[in-house]
Amino acid sequence: MTDALNLLTENFGDFASGLWVTARIVAVAFVIAMVVGTLVAAFRVAPVKALQRIGGVYVEVFRNIPLLVLLLILFIGVRRAGLPISAWVAGTMGLGLYTAAYIAEAIRSGVFAVGKGQIEAALSLGLTYPRALRRIVLPQAFRTVIPTLGSLIIAMVKNSAIVGASLLALPDLLKESRVIQSETAQTEAFLWAAAGYLLLTISVTVLFRRLETRYAVRR
Amino acid sequence: MQRQDRRWRLIAIAMMVFATLVLAACGDDEEETSDEPDVEVEEFPADTTMGEIQEAGEINLGVKFDVPPFGFNNPQSGEVEGFDVDLGRYIAARLGVEPVFREANSDNRIPLLVDGTIDLILSTMTITEERDLEIDFSEPYYVANGDVLVPTDSDIASLEDLAGNTVCTAIGSTYQSTIKDEVPDAELRLVDGYSECLELIQTDAVDAVSTDNVILTGMVIQDDTLELLDLDYTEEPYGVGIPDGDAEMKEFVDESVTQFIDDGTWQETYDEWVGQYIPEEQQQGPPEITLDEALALFPLEK
Repeated sequence: MTDALNLLTENFGDFASGLWVTARIVAVAFVIAMVVGTLVAAFRVAPVKALQRIGGVYVEVFRNIPLLVLLLILFIGVRRAGLPISAWVAGTMGLGLYTAAYIAEAIRSGVFAVGKGQIEAALSLGLTYPRALRRIVLPQAFRTVIPTLGSLIIAMVKNSAIVGASLLALPDLLKESRVIQSETAQTEAFLWAAAGYLLLTISVTVLFRRLETRYAVRR
Repeated sequence: MQRQDRRWRLIAIAMMVFATLVLAACGDDEEETSDEPDVEVEEFPADTTMGEIQEAGEINLGVKFDVPPFGFNNPQSGEVEGFDVDLGRYIAARLGVEPVFREANSDNRIPLLVDGTIDLILSTMTITEERDLEIDFSEPYYVANGDVLVPTDSDIASLEDLAGNTVCTAIGSTYQSTIKDEVPDAELRLVDGYSECLELIQTDAVDAVSTDNVILTGMVIQDDTLELLDLDYTEEPYGVGIPDGDAEMKEFVDESVTQFIDDGTWQETYDEWVGQYIPEEQQQGPPEITLDEALALFPLEK
C-alpha cells in the first residue's frame, strides 16, 4: 500500500498532466457531441424527409463504426489524403462525433416524449418549426433525457482512453500510467489510472445529478 | 420441401461458421515451421525448465512481428522471420523441440515471460538493470546503436535538432527515457510498436523516429523517402530474456549464444539480415561486451 502511495507521490506530475490531457479531450469532445448531437436530433425529427434521412445516415454511420476505426480514418486516412489534421483535432473530433450519434438518439427519444399536441399547438399559434423546436420541444426533451445523457457522457470519458491508446498517441491518463508502469515495473500505476478516470466520471455524475434535480419535470 | 430447404440453409451456415473459424485459426499469432539448424541435441533432466520444454515438444518464444530485420511477419511467406527468429530456431534446435513464435512487443514482453506465456524473450531487447530486476538476461548476442530516422527532406540533422519536434518511439523501450534525458524539449509520441512509428512518420504526423539503428534500417528498406542520421548516440546490447532466477536455463541459453557465435551461425545470420543492407565500413562482428558491462550502460536511475 505504501508502495502504491509512493508511486503516486513520486510520479504525481506525470499522473496529473495525463489527467489534465484526458479532461481536456473529454471537455472538447463533450461540446462537439452536444452541439452535433442536438443538430442531428433536430434533423431526425424535422418534417422534411431529406433532413430526416441525413440525420438517420449520420446516426447509423457513426454508431456502427468502432471508435478505434473512426479515429484511424480521421487521423491516418485524412492525413494520407493530404490534409494535415493534428492528433488532437482528430482525437477530439472522432470522440465527439462518435458520441454525438448516441446523444442524437437520446434527444430524439426525448422529443417523442413531448406530446405531439404541443408541437401542433405551437405551429398553429404561428411559430415556425425551428422556433417551436427550440422554444417548446427541445427544452422539455432535454429535461427528460438528462439521466441518459449522463450515462452517455460517462461512457465518453471512458472511451477517451481509446484516443490515447490508439495511433494518435496523445499523452492522456492511460498513456502516462503505462509509461510510469513501464519505467517502474509497478502495476499499481493502473490503479491510479482507474482512480483518475473515477474522479472524472464521478464529477460527471454529480454534475448531471444537479441538472436532474434542478430541471426535473415536476409531475 | 420447405423443411429440407431450411436444413440445407442450416448446413450452409454451419459450414460458413466452420470455415471462418478455420481461417481465424490460420491467422493466429503463432507460427510453426521445421527447417531446423544443424546442431546437436542435448538431453536435459525432467526437473529442469529445459526438460519440461523437451517433454512438451515445443518452446514458446516471444519475438517482434513488426520489426524487420529482427522479427517480422513476412507477408510473402506468411511466417515470422529475422535475426531474433533465427537465434530462436537455433536454441529450439539445441533442445530438439519445435519453436513456436508468439508476438511480444516492447510493452508486453516482460509480463508475457513472467506469466509463463512465453519461455524466452528474443525481441530486440536492450539489457538494462531495471529489466534485470524482473527477469534474467543472457550474455549479449547483438549490439545495436541508438539512431534517428527522418524524412530525406527534413531539417533535422542532429540530436539537438529534435528539440521542439515530435519524436516517435515505442512505449516501454529504453528510448522512452533516453530521449527525455537527452532532449527534454522534444515532444514524445509513444506508441505500441515500431510499425506504428513508421505509419506516423510516413504521414508526417511525427518529425522523427528514434530507436535502435537496425530497426530503423528495416524502415528505410521499406521506404526510401526516409533516412538515418547515423548518430549512434547510445549503445544497446540485446540479451535473451530468461525467467528470473532460473540459473539452469540461463546457463543453457548462454551456452547457446556462445555456440551460435563460435560456430559461425551468428555471422551467417548477420549477413543475411543486416550485413547485406549496410555499407561494409558500418558492418560489425559478434558482440564483445559482457553482460555486466551491458548492465552498466543502463543503470537504475536512483
